Amino acid sequence: MCFKNLPVEFDDQGKPFLREGIRDPYGAGAATPTGGSRQLTAERVAELVRRNGHDGTVRPMDFDPVTRVAGALAFHTVADFPNRKIVEARSVATLFRGYEVIMVGRDPRDAIYITSRACGVCGGVHSTCSALAIEMAIKCVPPPLGVIIRNLALALEFLYDHPLHLHLLAGPDYSAAIVEATNPSLFERAKKTEARYTEIHGYRTVADLMIDLNPLTGKLYLEALHMTRVAREAYVLICGKYPHPQTIVPGGMSSTINLTVMNEMMVRLGQFFDYSKKIALIWDDITEFFYEANPEYRKVGSRRATMIDTGIFDHPDAYDATYENSDDWGNRRWATPGAIVDGKLVTTDLRTINIGIEEFVDHSYYAEWTGDGQKQHYPTDPSGNPLSPYHPWNKVTRPRPEGQNWKEKYTWDTTPRWDRNAMEAGCYARLWNTAVAKKMPESPYMESTGHSLKMRVPAGALPETELEWHVPADWNAFERNRGRAYCMAFTTLIAFENWRAAMEIIKTGDTRTSTKFDMPTRGEQRGVGFWGAGRGYLTHHLTIDRGAVANYQIVTPSTWNASPTDRWDQPGPYEEAVLNTPLLEETNDPTKFRGLDVLRAIRSFDPCMPCTTHIQSEAGLITREVNTCACALDE
Amino acid sequence: MTASPARVIVGGVGYPDLCDYSIGIEIQERLSAWDAPPTVSVEDLSYNPIAVCQRLDDEAPGERFTRMVIVSAVCRGTRPAGTVHCYRWDRQLPSNDEIQDAVTDAVTGIIALENTLVIIGYFGALPAETIVVEIEPEAHEFGGALSDAVRQVFDPVCERMKEFATDDESVARLPIEPLTFSVPPGMRVL
Repeated sequence: MCFKNLPVEFDDQGKPFLREGIRDPYGAGAATPTGGSRQLTAERVAELVRRNGHDGTVRPMDFDPVTRVAGALAFHTVADFPNRKIVEARSVATLFRGYEVIMVGRDPRDAIYITSRACGVCGGVHSTCSALAIEMAIKCVPPPLGVIIRNLALALEFLYDHPLHLHLLAGPDYSAAIVEATNPSLFERAKKTEARYTEIHGYRTVADLMIDLNPLTGKLYLEALHMTRVAREAYVLICGKYPHPQTIVPGGMSSTINLTVMNEMMVRLGQFFDYSKKIALIWDDITEFFYEANPEYRKVGSRRATMIDTGIFDHPDAYDATYENSDDWGNRRWATPGAIVDGKLVTTDLRTINIGIEEFVDHSYYAEWTGDGQKQHYPTDPSGNPLSPYHPWNKVTRPRPEGQNWKEKYTWDTTPRWDRNAMEAGCYARLWNTAVAKKMPESPYMESTGHSLKMRVPAGALPETELEWHVPADWNAFERNRGRAYCMAFTTLIAFENWRAAMEIIKTGDTRTSTKFDMPTRGEQRGVGFWGAGRGYLTHHLTIDRGAVANYQIVTPSTWNASPTDRWDQPGPYEEAVLNTPLLEETNDPTKFRGLDVLRAIRSFDPCMPCTTHIQSEAGLITREVNTCACALDE
Repeated sequence: MTASPARVIVGGVGYPDLCDYSIGIEIQERLSAWDAPPTVSVEDLSYNPIAVCQRLDDEAPGERFTRMVIVSAVCRGTRPAGTVHCYRWDRQLPSNDEIQDAVTDAVTGIIALENTLVIIGYFGALPAETIVVEIEPEAHEFGGALSDAVRQVFDPVCERMKEFATDDESVARLPIEPLTFSVPPGMRVL
């Protein structure tokens, strides 16, 4: 059975229906999630601090702002230092996004340009997601080359994004500069530990590797800056500019594609063959070193492997832009869609994924939209499958920053849940789905084995190398980073396959990249873009009424990951990962803790708060980091 | 007027469609129509500061820019709107932690004058002379309109930018100052 919590079952033909006899099937009590961890109540935490706070051993440890993440994130914890654990974790998105409000009443095509601004790292993924939602609503299918070039654009964005995160944002947490300061004995051990993959990455010891992870001066840090340029240059060949593309349209791409463009792209893409081998094996070495040095590191950022992804990289023979066929074309994507609960892949069907999504605002600065006599706008999806009143197609964004305390509301992020589970999003979710589902298109470079993903990366200066990412036994901060590192190779190979497919299409003379369309001016249409960011899952749910946007709802990876505790006291993914994180720094003095392991846990998700929340306040337009006065919340 | 330096890059930093905060871009666009000497290049410098750094670094050794003249809205909040302040940056960099923050900001989408300067300074792509032209903004809403105070200084600032690009003596008269407009802790509001 796919859904364990929602009262949704499937008939003999596999069509979902609501279980009969439940008066309020989507009410809080009718479908109560079980199995996940629970956050202590604010009262219980206050009591713990009161009882143990006299000597400062149980006390708040706040990160405001969390640095080396994209955008504005604050994190409140209460640490129990004698027991080296966190007893309360609250994720605070400090800014309001508001694109849902900005989009209402506009021409749907504006969404491609406006929602791109949701992120300064990966704006193009929002543009494409908008285009997909519009295509579905207006029934417009891109030509094969349009689909392929869109895939290439996405892959190139990831090849910008992954090195950036691994070596500019998360990497410094594992660098000599930081490890030597917080865990000197660990660094001494690293000096004596031989790296396993010296022949590929060139580092003799783990300490050598850590030195080159040093921020600003380390070779890996500087190399990542360079590689972001290589990816950016390839991207602008087909998208005009980065990070906000100018060539994405409903029905494909407006770029002109010819052999010169493709050759210039290959010059750059080829540089990722060797780089991706090196990155995967560097993160293998880092991960295994920490595990062997202290098995407690397996608990840093750990949580149950419960994650979601809508899949990406459409196959041009399958994608028809319809909701009705989305299970079919979704399952033929190079990266397979999927919902994983407690390590088990429970579905790969996009419609099943879609109908299981709900978005709550109990601890968020928004007002409920389901009450006040308002009837649910859409009881079903376009295929007649049941939808929750909390589903994005039914959601209404009503900002209301009131009740600011841990018991009531403390974030601008909402609380998406799937089958009422706190799902995690990340590029590793697509790796996991693809490895387990065995549904990816046949490929000379990749093989989904059911428990791993084999990747044969072509020769560059380094020889052809087979990498294999295995579904991990533990799910934690290290595995997120390792998964992201392997995603470099995965993405590179998908880009290479799509590059080759594009060349084959160009050979036939069919260089069309877009399909003409007319925008409807009457009636109501619905669409959803099922796509992905470098950080994972991305959906745009769109409703058009007489040619204008009636509702627009964006759910990003960080909307899932940064979500607050829900109405059932299930913590959001960042919160849960931090609650499970032991404090492993080599000091017993609470005043000297830097919270490194907490930060490793948070940063391993690759937080992107601009996507989660954004830039408007009554004081003006905020374009830089913000910290919040969290004292107002300590009530 | 004295001889102009070997190579000069002139540009602006800002956000489009943000009223006074777009002044850097708008001045750069105006100056693009200037029939500048061949040693002067007017360019958009309002994009990812790492990419700006890489672009400057691309110049062949011996042909690199020797002077940069850069304009932006800078809100100090302690002077009247429309105040223009010009100086030669003393090239003093902040701490490594702050530089790291500047890189993080840059790669995650922040475009601002101080992180542009700090990044190109840190990574060694900064021209020997860097002339900063600050304009105190007033209006910060979405839109294209400048406030009266800022509109009044638009043309004079364009002329001064040209002067700094071509006249060594004008530049020599400018004070040498640090970047002192870092925003205090709390909200950074543009």
